Amino acid sequence: MSDENKEKEVRENRSTRPSGPPRRTGGGPPRRRFGRRKVCRFCAEKGLTIDYKDVRTLGNFLSERGKIVPRRISGTCAAHQRALTEALKRARQMALLPYSDAHRQL
Amino acid sequence: MRTYELMFIVHPDNAGDAFTAVIDKYKGVLAQQGCELLKTEEWGERKLAYPIKKQGRGSYVLCYFRAQPGVIDEIERRLRIDDNVMRFIVVQREKGFEPPADSVDVTETATEEAAGAAETEKTADAATKE
Repeated sequence: MSDENKEKEVRENRSTRPSGPPRRTGGGPPRRRFGRRKVCRFCAEKGLTIDYKDVRTLGNFLSERGKIVPRRISGTCAAHQRALTEALKRARQMALLPYSDAHRQL
Repeated sequence: MRTYELMFIVHPDNAGDAFTAVIDKYKGVLAQQGCELLKTEEWGERKLAYPIKKQGRGSYVLCYFRAQPGVIDEIERRLRIDDNVMRFIVVQREKGFEPPADSVDVTETATEEAAGAAETEKTADAATKE
């Protein structure tokens, strides 16, 4: 009986205990690109469309290693980031943009 | 009828005639399937971001067309079989596509695009500056 009570207490404590280390919000020191407080580029400029063919604009959202830049760095809004990611992946598929920096050209 | 765009990359070893033959072949396929070709763009030979089939360059072709949804599978099937086509992608354009003033489908090359009145085609700039 007492054992059961102790088990229940332990279980309850486990559920209320915070899980893991507390999360840190925001990035570290502001890195390249647009900084974290900036407005979404596509929201600000209405005419700017996200198109997989638009290598020039899309290229701004790839890191030097060819990785897709996260929202918190580029400042894009959620909806546009999703569209951007899809466009980037299409462009990569069509060899308009690289998948990584490790591609060796012949 | 939905509006689609098809982009494919032709193997660079195809000379002018062979290249045109490939493009005409797929224009034919589209017509055969009852598609309305809106516009064709040839971006010409470009450097690929990564090697495909050991090639560093490829000829890009872009087509806008209207079609019934069912035919897309057949078009893709044909593209897949062709050895000269290294990559392709068919995308549906939700917002449709307005062909420029000339209603007849004109095959435009990248250099013509730069001088032409292609307002929505930012792609042309990227291609000509390559």
